[in-house]
Amino acid sequence: MAQILPPFTSSVKLKYVKLGYQYLVNHILTFLLIPIMLGTALEILRLGPVEILNVLKSLRFDLVQILCSSFLIIFVATVYFMSKPRCIYLVDYSCYKAPITCRVPFATFMEHSRLNLKDNPKSVDFQMRILERSGLGEETCLPPAIHYIPPSPTMEAARGEAEDVIFGVIDSLLQKTNLKPKDIDILIVNCSLFSPTPSLSAMVVNKYKLRSNIKSYNLSGMGCSAGLISIDLARDLLQVHPNSNAVVVSTEIITPNYYQGKERAMLLPNCLFRMGGAAMLLSNKRRERRRAKYRLVHVVRTHKGCDDKAYRCVYEEEDPQGKVGINLSKDLMVIAADALKSNITTIGPLVLPASEQLLFLFTLIGRKIFNPKWKPYIPDFKQAFEHFCIHAGGRAVIDELQKNLQLSAEHVEASRMALHRFGNTSSSSLWYELSYIEAKGRMKKGDRVWQIAFGSGFKCNSAVWKCNRSIKAPTDGPWQDCIDRYPVHIPEIVKL
Amino acid sequence: MSENRIRVTVNSKLTWVSSKPLGGKPHELSALDHAMALHTVHVIFYYRANPFERGLFDSDFSLSDLLCMYPPVMGRFARGDGGNWVVKCNEAGVRTLRASVGTTLDEWLRSADASEERNLTLNEFEGGGLAIGLSCPHMLADPTCATLFFKSWTETNRGEPVRHPPIYHLPAANARRSLSMGINSIKYLGTKSKSAESPSEKMATATFRLSHAIIKQCLAQIHDECPDATPFDLLAALFWIRIMRLKMPRHDQKHSLSICLDVRKPVHGPIPYGYFGNALHFSLLSLDAELLDTAGLGHVAGEVHRHVADLHGEELLSGINWFESRKGEIGQYAQPFRMYGPELTCISMEHMITPKGSTCELSMYEAAFEKGEKPVHVTYRVGNVEGEGLITVMPSPEAGLARTVTVTLPEEQLAELCEDQAIMDLQPTMLLSGKT
Repeated sequence: MAQILPPFTSSVKLKYVKLGYQYLVNHILTFLLIPIMLGTALEILRLGPVEILNVLKSLRFDLVQILCSSFLIIFVATVYFMSKPRCIYLVDYSCYKAPITCRVPFATFMEHSRLNLKDNPKSVDFQMRILERSGLGEETCLPPAIHYIPPSPTMEAARGEAEDVIFGVIDSLLQKTNLKPKDIDILIVNCSLFSPTPSLSAMVVNKYKLRSNIKSYNLSGMGCSAGLISIDLARDLLQVHPNSNAVVVSTEIITPNYYQGKERAMLLPNCLFRMGGAAMLLSNKRRERRRAKYRLVHVVRTHKGCDDKAYRCVYEEEDPQGKVGINLSKDLMVIAADALKSNITTIGPLVLPASEQLLFLFTLIGRKIFNPKWKPYIPDFKQAFEHFCIHAGGRAVIDELQKNLQLSAEHVEASRMALHRFGNTSSSSLWYELSYIEAKGRMKKGDRVWQIAFGSGFKCNSAVWKCNRSIKAPTDGPWQDCIDRYPVHIPEIVKL
Repeated sequence: MSENRIRVTVNSKLTWVSSKPLGGKPHELSALDHAMALHTVHVIFYYRANPFERGLFDSDFSLSDLLCMYPPVMGRFARGDGGNWVVKCNEAGVRTLRASVGTTLDEWLRSADASEERNLTLNEFEGGGLAIGLSCPHMLADPTCATLFFKSWTETNRGEPVRHPPIYHLPAANARRSLSMGINSIKYLGTKSKSAESPSEKMATATFRLSHAIIKQCLAQIHDECPDATPFDLLAALFWIRIMRLKMPRHDQKHSLSICLDVRKPVHGPIPYGYFGNALHFSLLSLDAELLDTAGLGHVAGEVHRHVADLHGEELLSGINWFESRKGEIGQYAQPFRMYGPELTCISMEHMITPKGSTCELSMYEAAFEKGEKPVHVTYRVGNVEGEGLITVMPSPEAGLARTVTVTLPEEQLAELCEDQAIMDLQPTMLLSGKT
């Protein structure tokens, strides 16, 4: 019976073993190549220059053979370079900062709740409990129409909010990147719950007088993961159209969707969703390589809609009183974990180093053949990525992912702080988190970022970016005035 | 009286908060604050031009920035330890109402809400003009600090620094001042605290604007009997006499006037001008009924003048200390009683006038949102006044010796007062009295 080693020594030994194994497997090619190169070099040295020349002379070449082989080489090289997908760069992005008059502290939110839901104290209590545990702070913003008692969600107010957010964020992007509106070739706007006619993308074309041959798309109804879906669409378009700029705008317009009824499952979004938006400039132009911040490496989309439970877990419907709201089912977290597992299974082989993949393969084989009771090996994604941007859907989502992926508090700090400062801004939350990491000065050249978003459907989408150049802590951005106060400790329950 | 003619429609209601999260300790209320619990304060500023044409959300966030300095204004009342009221500074916000009025500025508008919340009402008149009304419980603020809050808002809006930032805590020296005060005051406050509830009658209000020239003339008339009379003395005496004539003859021989003065001093003094809270002193002036009937205006004005002059520093503070001394065993403040009433009460706003060179500066009329756009009128109203009535003597925008007197009396008495010959002789301009 092996002696049970004291825990310290065992862990140290294990750590070194693990390190050694990783180093070996990840650089296996180097390790194989070195002896071969050494051998060849030794052989050449042994032979000496005269012998080499003799060997070469003995190989008889004639012109046709030389020409054919060189054409073959050139042909193969051309095919390789042509079929290589274009590099997609994220030149820059900007996030929306709401005016201070839209701020909603907890006390104001609760008081409004009590006034609007006068006859339903249970629903008010429920909202209070949600807010206490939500992880939001006192600086999140709601649009002006929701500040009224009772809220006045007219179409005009919704358009007003859309204009404020979208124009604000595009103005900021154009200024940051020195882009002229006439140079935008592709425009994609995603906003899940507000879809007027003409579309929001048409609104942008109208305001900025974009070209008449612009390729514009408006994605609606696709939930909080629509931001990455738009990025995926932009990527595909940029593969087809050479030398182009694409502007992607992600936002969620809160005004028309504030639930005015009393069903508890539908009141939850009211407590969490807040004003926000982001605009990104993507490009496949070679000259953007110098100033682009990130390069898009992978986008992986997983859709669990084929399962009925997953399909119905975030469902917009009318409550018994006829008021429309979004119903969140109780097994949301279980479905989210399942979708995540599915996504990880696809993205794992693309990003994980060989060492992790081998380990996973061995444990998988082991579980299938030898002993099903072996714990499934959860690959260590911290080796594949330096930064994680988890959609700030709510505290529960971040907690769940932290547990599943075995991430440290620092890895999820960006998500938690974005949730605290801005609330759940739906598809744009990933960009606030990325902005946080940059504002803290943690983004270095070569760092890899993993953005994960969940959305109704049920969908789990991931995007992998690689940092193109070291980013100095920017002086502008949504975190500009408050980054020094972060990170804050967010208590489990805030006493209201 | 004429409420049917005036149509006030509340268009929207929302809540205004500060631009930064503040988080703070609860704001403790003093003994005097607790004593004022039964009343509410309403201050209304009338402007000819609407400074918020574009709507509050588009304006320069001056109110949000201002509220950063006034956390208690955004908070809510709660019972603290020991059972006393405190203001929990939880940033619940200032409830703001926007209403439109179906008449022009020059007609009377009664403030729409006399509710318990902190209310900021913007009433837009037809054809331009805006009335901004500020309502709050008297427990939180008295008319002076409500005016200063409003004035600070206008200063923030103009981009100027705030002249009188709020001071929430008095230096501790005050608490230990000896209780060497006039016996009268103690007796007065003691009696008031035990007085029974008087039957409530329907009260009505009228405002008389008296010009500088007229007041100067009157002061000259009584110069022999009372050389140092101030416009306040004159007007308090005049209205007291006229109102007493209208009331039914009483059995006791003495008529009383309760005089309410503000304790703050602009320059130095124990309670600074910027103090946020209640700093009022109530005292009683009693005169024989016969004297009041027969003696001239000058004599009565002299009595008032003497009474006010006798109240100096110590005396004023001691009233506040008396409230402190009524604490229960566990430090709980006594139950509040009606401070304004049951006698005829007269409020003086003379402290708002600061002499400046050859003219004087009137605090409330300096509250201009844009340069040069001073309010055309300012109204002060105290809620829950019962008993014989309330007289408020305020400065007029005309400055100098001109004054505006607001009188609240039972309806019939007010109607008679408006016809009274002595008052008509002063050629007052009638405002906000419900008559065309």
